[in-house]
Amino acid sequence: MRKSLNYIKRKISWQLTIVCAITALVIAACSITIDSIDQSDSINGGETMQSTLHVTISTNAEEDNSRLMVAVLVPKVWNARNNASISFTSSITDGTQKMTAVPVGTAAPQGNGLDWPTLINNKIGHGGNLLPGWEWAAFYSDNAYNVGGNINLSVTVNIKIKTSQDNISFKLGYVVAESVDGLSNSQYYNSAFPGCFRVFGTGDLIDFCNPQLSTVDPLNSLDNDIVTLNFDGGIIDNALANQSNIFLCAKGITTDGDTLNLCRQDSTTQLISQGIKKWSIDIWPRGFFNLPADKQLASIQYYFTDATGNVKVGSTGDGSTPFTYTFKCQ
Amino acid sequence: MKLIKIFSFLLVLILFSNCHREDFLQHNRESVKSITGTWKIINAVRNGTDLTDRFDFSRFKITFSDSSYIVDNSVPFIVTQNGTYHLDDPQYPFKIYFETPDNFTKELDFKYPTTNGVRNIVLTFSPGCSSNSYTYTFQKIN
Repeated sequence: MRKSLNYIKRKISWQLTIVCAITALVIAACSITIDSIDQSDSINGGETMQSTLHVTISTNAEEDNSRLMVAVLVPKVWNARNNASISFTSSITDGTQKMTAVPVGTAAPQGNGLDWPTLINNKIGHGGNLLPGWEWAAFYSDNAYNVGGNINLSVTVNIKIKTSQDNISFKLGYVVAESVDGLSNSQYYNSAFPGCFRVFGTGDLIDFCNPQLSTVDPLNSLDNDIVTLNFDGGIIDNALANQSNIFLCAKGITTDGDTLNLCRQDSTTQLISQGIKKWSIDIWPRGFFNLPADKQLASIQYYFTDATGNVKVGSTGDGSTPFTYTFKCQ
Repeated sequence: MKLIKIFSFLLVLILFSNCHREDFLQHNRESVKSITGTWKIINAVRNGTDLTDRFDFSRFKITFSDSSYIVDNSVPFIVTQNGTYHLDDPQYPFKIYFETPDNFTKELDFKYPTTNGVRNIVLTFSPGCSSNSYTYTFQKIN
């Protein structure tokens, strides 16, 4: 009889412990939701991009000394940390609340020492942008707030970013979180990617949204940089899709209008395999074209060829139009 | 035996008491950093991407003598002409200055770490766009 009673007591005790633990988790929980985003589809280069995030924060427990964190996924060339102005209004604050870029290298809360941009990239990604020139820029509210338990807050975040003159198609992204819980649990933050945003600027289109036959890294460079030309032969059907050796055939155009041709098939022009139908070559344009010291390159036009040089692929997937790359800085 | 121990202890104490603090510091003085010799690139990183095995850096060499350098340019570098150089501090250098014949001075952060018992020079610079950062690690050839 006593054994049976002890067994029942132990069982009830375990069940109580589990119930209490679950209850504690629920009480401590809060949630952040980006309900909607107001944002235009496009602007002209150099104009200020404006977007508004409508956010709801629901709390189940009181949280003290907490800052709002808003991060934006933007092209690096926008230099958003210096060119963005972010503020918010809310149902528990008076007037506009300012936000400031989080200093580079500042560890995110509960992020194992990682800073906000790295942590966001690891947990949330980069919105499917296909080129490497993107970045997360994180901003904290200037003030910290004590937020009561069991309330629903409405927060309206206003984001303004002065864009560069670049001609860009980019998948913008947003993350809203707070400075206590960070990204430690999916209920503590929310992210949104409203689609492809177009900036009608100058120069070649830098298309982060759509796969391309050829991309260039870095996005901005001069002829004294090391430039990586990538070729993805699997994007569309083309005459080099099944070749096992790919070569670069390029023409350099100097700032004074001279042209320098380098179209041969040898070790100096051969691309290196980077996976199935993916290729790349790293060139130092000044050395590649043996440029005299008093000359500068304005742009290059290039094709990819097979080992004979007779089969060419350019920007239209055939040999009719070359790829172009203009040397310029931000 | 105990007496000998006490005597030895006192003797050591007397000997050390005659030493000046400066004498100890004199022995620990930091050596002057010399970078004379010919250096090659053993590692190259562009914007965080390792290019060492993707680009031929083997043709580049830089030779430092007492105050001048000779650069064999076949890769992007901060200077393209031979010239003179100096460090900001001979014992604790944090900067290196390259001066070219046309009176241009390029200032770079200078790191001189020892890795696996071998001295390296690490220089970070932007030969093209300032947004593109290159870090070369050099090791002495001779």
